[in-house]
Amino acid sequence: MEETQITPSLSVRSWSSISTQDQSSISTQDQSSTAGQASSTGPQPSKPSVIPPPVKSKGPSSGAGVRRMRRIIAEDAEWSVAIVPLLTELCIQHIVKNFQNNPILKQLPPEHQKKVLNHLSPDLPLAVTANLIEDESYWRRCCMQRWPVCHMDEHGGSWKRTFFELHLENLLKHFIPSTTDPEVILNLLPLCRNYVHTIRVDQFLPPVHLPPPLRGGDQSDSGSEGEMEEPATDHYQLGDLVAGLSHLEELDLVYGVKDCGMNFEWNLFLFTYRDCHSLAAAVKACHTLKIFRLTRSKVDDDKARILICSLLDHAALEELDLSHNLIGDRGARAAAKLLGHSRLRVLNLANNQVRAPGAQSLAHALAHNSDLVSLNLRLNCIEDEGGQALAHALQTNKCLTTLHLGGNELSEPTATLLSQVLSINTTLTSINLSCNRIGPDGGKQLLEGMSDNKTLLEFDLRLSDIAQESEYLIGQALCANREAARQRALSPSHFMSPATAKGPENPVG
Amino acid sequence: MNPPGSLGVLEEKEEEHLATPVIGPSIHSDNPQERIQARRLRIAARLEARRREALGEYLDGKESEEDQSKSYKQKEESRLKLAKLLLCGTELVTNIQVAADIREIHRRVEEEEIKRQRLEKLENEVKTSQDKFEEITMKWEEGKQKRIPQELWEMLNAQQVHCAGLIEDKNKLISELQQELKAKDDQYVKDLKKQSGDICLLLERMEEQVKNVMKTFRQELQHIEKAFEVEREELLTNNKKKWEQALQAHNAKELEYLMNRIKKVEDHEKQLNKQRIWDCEEYNTIKIKLEQDVQILEQQLQQMKATYQLNQEKLEYNFQVLKKRDEESTVIKSQQKRKINWHFALIDDKQFREIWLMNEEEVKDLISRAFDVDRIIHTHHLGLPWTAPDFWFLKNVGPISQQQQKSPTQILEEVLMEAEEEGAEEAASEPESYLDLPKQVSAKTTRKILMLLCDESGFLVESKLLSLLLPLDKSECYLLKLDAIFSALGIESEDDLYKLVNFFLKYQAHHSPPSQERTSLVSPLEKLDPQGEKEGSLVDREPQEKQPPPSPRLIHPNDVLKILEAFVTGLRKPRDFRAPVKLLKVVRDDSKDSAYWKALTTVIPATTLNLWDALYTALEKYHLVLTQRAELLIENSSLERQNTELQQLLQQYLDSKINSELQVPPTQVFRVPTK
Repeated sequence: MEETQITPSLSVRSWSSISTQDQSSISTQDQSSTAGQASSTGPQPSKPSVIPPPVKSKGPSSGAGVRRMRRIIAEDAEWSVAIVPLLTELCIQHIVKNFQNNPILKQLPPEHQKKVLNHLSPDLPLAVTANLIEDESYWRRCCMQRWPVCHMDEHGGSWKRTFFELHLENLLKHFIPSTTDPEVILNLLPLCRNYVHTIRVDQFLPPVHLPPPLRGGDQSDSGSEGEMEEPATDHYQLGDLVAGLSHLEELDLVYGVKDCGMNFEWNLFLFTYRDCHSLAAAVKACHTLKIFRLTRSKVDDDKARILICSLLDHAALEELDLSHNLIGDRGARAAAKLLGHSRLRVLNLANNQVRAPGAQSLAHALAHNSDLVSLNLRLNCIEDEGGQALAHALQTNKCLTTLHLGGNELSEPTATLLSQVLSINTTLTSINLSCNRIGPDGGKQLLEGMSDNKTLLEFDLRLSDIAQESEYLIGQALCANREAARQRALSPSHFMSPATAKGPENPVG
Repeated sequence: MNPPGSLGVLEEKEEEHLATPVIGPSIHSDNPQERIQARRLRIAARLEARRREALGEYLDGKESEEDQSKSYKQKEESRLKLAKLLLCGTELVTNIQVAADIREIHRRVEEEEIKRQRLEKLENEVKTSQDKFEEITMKWEEGKQKRIPQELWEMLNAQQVHCAGLIEDKNKLISELQQELKAKDDQYVKDLKKQSGDICLLLERMEEQVKNVMKTFRQELQHIEKAFEVEREELLTNNKKKWEQALQAHNAKELEYLMNRIKKVEDHEKQLNKQRIWDCEEYNTIKIKLEQDVQILEQQLQQMKATYQLNQEKLEYNFQVLKKRDEESTVIKSQQKRKINWHFALIDDKQFREIWLMNEEEVKDLISRAFDVDRIIHTHHLGLPWTAPDFWFLKNVGPISQQQQKSPTQILEEVLMEAEEEGAEEAASEPESYLDLPKQVSAKTTRKILMLLCDESGFLVESKLLSLLLPLDKSECYLLKLDAIFSALGIESEDDLYKLVNFFLKYQAHHSPPSQERTSLVSPLEKLDPQGEKEGSLVDREPQEKQPPPSPRLIHPNDVLKILEAFVTGLRKPRDFRAPVKLLKVVRDDSKDSAYWKALTTVIPATTLNLWDALYTALEKYHLVLTQRAELLIENSSLERQNTELQQLLQQYLDSKINSELQVPPTQVFRVPTK
């Protein structure tokens, strides 16, 4: 078998060495034909391309004919006129060829392992490769082959992890309940359980109804109809998958459909109660989960309560993101309760429907909390009552560093209280009060507060009706603070933790 | 990220650090508290140093020396500029978001207001329609009581009108709402467009921002690099200046050294010259002295040479003398050796012969005794005639002599010796002459031939030998000469000598017909000879002597050389395949001796022995019979004597007186035996 593989290349060599003129085009053609021939005759079609003999690798390059006459090419480390490959090369070729049936890797010495890995096809079944190959370059090739754009940085700097996370995401995105076999995902589970740390899914497909119910133009009814059809529109239940992944740390889910175009229907975007319950159970069972994001999924108060209830006293959870949902005061109250019963560091309730009572309850929880670092209530409507409550809470809180209250209909009274907080508090580094109606007087008061503060680095007051003068002065004060923070970071003699003072940061979006 | 920020702080620290060893408490202080304090300070200083090292080495290098260098300024400047740029950029980008947010808030507020109004309106509408509906339903009750169809129809019509009004109201509301919805839809589309525009703007700004930032970063980088370069150049120029100064100083010093060196070299050269002159003078004196020595020695050498030559001449003379003496001694030695050899051989032969004769005599004695016994046995006991056995070996006396090989010189010696004796006692009469060579030729002839040969072929003898032979007497001279000649001719054995002699005779016979008779006479004699050597020797001699020996005169001395040449060529051929060397001394062949002695033992044949054995046994038997007979005879004689004695006794008794006195004389009783 080896001979049949080698002889074509030999024939190419001899033939082309006879005709040493510039016939690179012909030689490449010839090679391609021989390669094709090999693929048709040989049992392993991929082999000639996997380990091309040195001559072949030079095939298409210009002046190949001339190069064939040379024994040494200093610029090319791989160039060699050896006609018969080394025995080790043959063995490696063989291993590569039969890797699917007989994967031999760990028994080889390191340099040969590397060769084998370099020549392995990325199309090998995962069942063979998943738990055998650790080599990053191999998984990099796999990733590059499947996805034109993939950022390793978003997956913990590991190509293998990147591959499995993207693979799983892909499967989940295109999973159609009651049509796709759930085994497809569960079969993957033993292979990827050690490598998947994050699940990011921004679409869950609903089950397909073969006679699609056309509801005419009255879209206003579709909501109520969705309610009625709810049991039929359950999405994939993550429970089994999440339970199987032993290293899962991050869940980032969006219950919706992307690129639906003119097929838009309201019930494509339904986060049903069953979905909610199963997700809650899954999250509760996952003890390694650190980050849980459920955004743009029409989570209302009840669903939020269900989810948050399951998250109470969760050991590992650090970040909860329920932004862009329909959470109202009751949901906010549940979140406040969660603050007291977990070690949550980041809470994001941006673009919800939290009003003053919700904010008050959050403020109450915040006053005695020592874990939360970041609170985001952008685009809610907590108004002055809520804002004042939060400001009061911040007078006692010694932990929160980032507070986003943009677009919350706040006005002067809140600003007054916040200015007091600014003069006292030494932990806050970033406050966002943009899109509020603070007014010139409020601005002045805030400026006063800033004059005593040495720690705040960012203070966003855009479109909040304050005087330009005070905004500028506040900006100056912030600049001074930033400089101070930078110097603190460089000289660790100061007790201040340098982590927060890493220079200018983008305002939280 | 920019480290030089903490410079001020560091500087303070540095000062502190520098100050401590000067003012601070000393470790060697007497006060223990002070010492503790000092150690603490030291530890703190060390920790400080370590931390600074960890922070980065670039901190404590150049910048601590020059507190505010250009590059540092430039870096600070750039950093601030870039920070500002980033801040502004992000603000610019986030502005869109903020704007969208506030729009959303406004929209929400408006929406809330509209919603509230709508709800109010709807509620009002519900109320009015409810009223109307109730009115209508009231009228239904009324209608039921109506019995007159016309009234009823009217009422129904009115009801219809009312209902239609109600429905119209509702429809109006619906259409209003639908219009609102449409407006909302339009609004939605507008919003979407606006949002996409926003997003486009956002992207644009982001891109712009990225470009901007990149550009500025590059610019700043360039600025910083430039600043660094400038600084570096300054530094370089400074260093160059320093370097040049140092180089100049160095050069000056080098020059100084060079001058010093040159001075020293000159000094040394002067000294060297002095030294050289002095050395030259010394050299000359020594040279003269040594030359004188050489002359003296040469004179001595000449003297020595003269004495040496004298000595050499003396020694040469001595050597010549010794050589002559040596030659003489060799001649004497060879003569002595020959004599001794011959003498020893003679003595050996004699001894051997004596022992042989003694043994033989003994054996013959025994044999004669045996023969006597045999003869007695035969004649006396057997009565047979006895004839003495006649064996050849019984007549043999002395050792069995074969054709003894003798060296030609021996023969020569013998020949010459004999010739000498000849004159005295006409040796021909001596029967036992052991010179048995001239079987065919007489010794005399041989001698003469040899003499002739000796005279004629003197050229074969070395001249040196000839000179040595001069003082010797004639026969000895001949002997030695012949010896040399034979060795030259290659004659080694007795046979060769005979051959030579024969050759001479034959040649003579061939070339001189008158002498042929003689030789023909000689040759038949030869043939007779070998049979009875011992006995025949006596017989042979006489005729030979009687006949005049072939005269050597017959051979002309001139022919001798020819004969010799022919002989040598003839001899060469057979000689070629012969064994190269033959022992001079021929070993005596003793093969026949054992046979001889064995034969002597078996002189009494086996048959006779058997006869003797048989005779012995017979005689034994006879002897036995005879001894028995002798015994019997003895017995008989003793019996006879007893008888006589007894008769005497009886007589005595009979004659005694007592008998007479007896009444009955015994004589009467019995008859007296008479003798």
